[in-house]
Amino acid sequence: MSAEARVRIEDVRHRYGSVTALDGVSLDIADGELVTLLGPSGCGKTTLLRIVAGFERPVEGRVLLTGEDVTRLPAHRRATNMVFQRPTLFPHLDVFANVAFGLQVAGVARSEQRARVQEALRLVRLDGYERRRSHELSGGQMQRVALARALVNRPKVLLLDEPLSALDLKIRLEMEVELRRVHRETGATFVYVTHDQREAMALSDRIAVMNAGRIEQLGVPTEVYRRPTSVFVAQFVGDANVLPVEVVEAGAEEAVVRLGDCRHNVHCPHPARGPAWLVLRPEAVEVRAADAAAGRDDAGSLRGVVRDVAFRGTGFGCRIELPALGAQVKAEGPGAAPPFAVDDAVRVDWRPESGWLLPREGGEAAPPPIAEPDAAAAEARA
Amino acid sequence: MSGRHRSPIPGLVTLAGVLFLWLPLLVVVLFSLHETASLSFPFDGFSLRWYERVFESAEVRSAVQSSLVVATTTALTTLVLATLAAYGMSRARSRWRAPLALLFFLPITLPGLFIGVALLIAFTRTETSLSLVTVTIAHLVYVFPFFFVLARAALDRLDPALEEAAADLGANGRTVFRRVTLPQVWPVLVGAAALAFALSFDEFIITFYVVGPDPTLPLYIWSSLRKTIDPSINAISTLLLAFTVLLFVVTFALASWSERRRRGAVDPLALAGAEEAR
Repeated sequence: MSAEARVRIEDVRHRYGSVTALDGVSLDIADGELVTLLGPSGCGKTTLLRIVAGFERPVEGRVLLTGEDVTRLPAHRRATNMVFQRPTLFPHLDVFANVAFGLQVAGVARSEQRARVQEALRLVRLDGYERRRSHELSGGQMQRVALARALVNRPKVLLLDEPLSALDLKIRLEMEVELRRVHRETGATFVYVTHDQREAMALSDRIAVMNAGRIEQLGVPTEVYRRPTSVFVAQFVGDANVLPVEVVEAGAEEAVVRLGDCRHNVHCPHPARGPAWLVLRPEAVEVRAADAAAGRDDAGSLRGVVRDVAFRGTGFGCRIELPALGAQVKAEGPGAAPPFAVDDAVRVDWRPESGWLLPREGGEAAPPPIAEPDAAAAEARA
Repeated sequence: MSGRHRSPIPGLVTLAGVLFLWLPLLVVVLFSLHETASLSFPFDGFSLRWYERVFESAEVRSAVQSSLVVATTTALTTLVLATLAAYGMSRARSRWRAPLALLFFLPITLPGLFIGVALLIAFTRTETSLSLVTVTIAHLVYVFPFFFVLARAALDRLDPALEEAAADLGANGRTVFRRVTLPQVWPVLVGAAALAFALSFDEFIITFYVVGPDPTLPLYIWSSLRKTIDPSINAISTLLLAFTVLLFVVTFALASWSERRRRGAVDPLALAGAEEAR
């Protein structure tokens, strides 16, 4: 990262009444980066974005844009622009006037306004729509106009507050492709807020997973997915089996864990001996028929019974009960036909490199549930 | 449906109600066009002579002029003051917002008699001589809550996210109001100003207490009725009726046009999609 971050958030704290919305958040965002703030509702991600935009003033901490402290600057004097969750096009203006709004307010010459609006509309593939009103546009088109209206001002950072959450799934997927392209073509810095982990992984250079007003983990999507630093991150980002195990041998690269009556290797540097959580992604769980394994070494696999099979389009998902652990695991794999039937006896296995270990305090047997959306925080903000 | 017996009574009651409301007005309109000075049937034919007499009368002209000056001043002053009050109220975050809004709105329930007497006492105590100025002040007190309620409703319906978006694009408070808020609510505000004008133009009770040497039109009509029953009163009343109805039509048309425009601004299909996505 360069010495001077494009956006620097320094130990920001914020409260709504007695509800803590942000509990000490620090984050540096580099030039041209697309960073996603990902978390459940009420985790503080939107509050953080609004603090960067200038709609809220943090109780403590600082916000710097290209080295300049803007914590006390109101929204209209900051070089940030925002795409909102709901379409916020001005209904009394057409597409051209909407996109030109920021340039007009800034007193940009008319000829330059026209050129830059045309360029912005071309960027979002809406050239020719200048004279339309917002009610003549689809939801996806409205958000593309909102994107052009923000980018035309060449902001130091573009803020996106769940811009796709009000759209249909199909249009959402198309818009993801568009956003990636716009990000590539403009080279602008994006801060993107979402509660959709799939969207975050698809779009981001880096993801900041937030929970209860803090950043739980910051990293590139593959790292966050494969090497989560907490059970919360493991469960919130993607689907995960989180199983209680005991680390019996710990090495520099690899550990041996015991779960139920079986011992298994896991690639994970320097885990602590004793209780731990084993994180297994469903696609990493290998399932085979119990009798096909006859004669093979079953020491590293677990006996299980299929409880549910569901077709997923790209393959099949199963739920398998493991009597030795008293838990169920989710498994997923490609295939044209259902690999198993309900009540089949199976053996469950995984490769050492596809598991991951996290510390487990005391003797908890089940992973903590993902926190319910904090209704109080959401209300306090409204 | 055919052959089903329907009672004629609801229809007759409705007709009687409509006649009760409109017949007196129609009689006034009819006799304003009467050939003779008689105010009773039989009707002797049509003429515009009473209208001519009204337009020639210096007293009537002066009363109309007074009323126009008072109503215009009242409407314009209310437009500015009540719009600012309503905007402040709808955007304030203070917890005094609701009680203050109630204070602004509550005078709508006060009897005109009470307002009239109270203002007369106030003017006497402050040794303010009664004139069209005091009439205008009284009308402002009377009309303000009506305008405030309409403006507040229109402003509260606006999406605050639009103003936030404008601020985000670099607009300061004044620019946001001028370029985003006002363009969306002006039809309602103009309509409310027309209503304020109409309310002021034919106000009688409050005016009666605070009027000076120059009468407004309603007061002129009332005083001339006390002397003799002159058929030209019918002509004046008819003109007043036509003018007031016109103002209310303008108010209503602007309000409903603005409402349609506002609805059209939100794509119902996009909203339905948003609901499904959730």
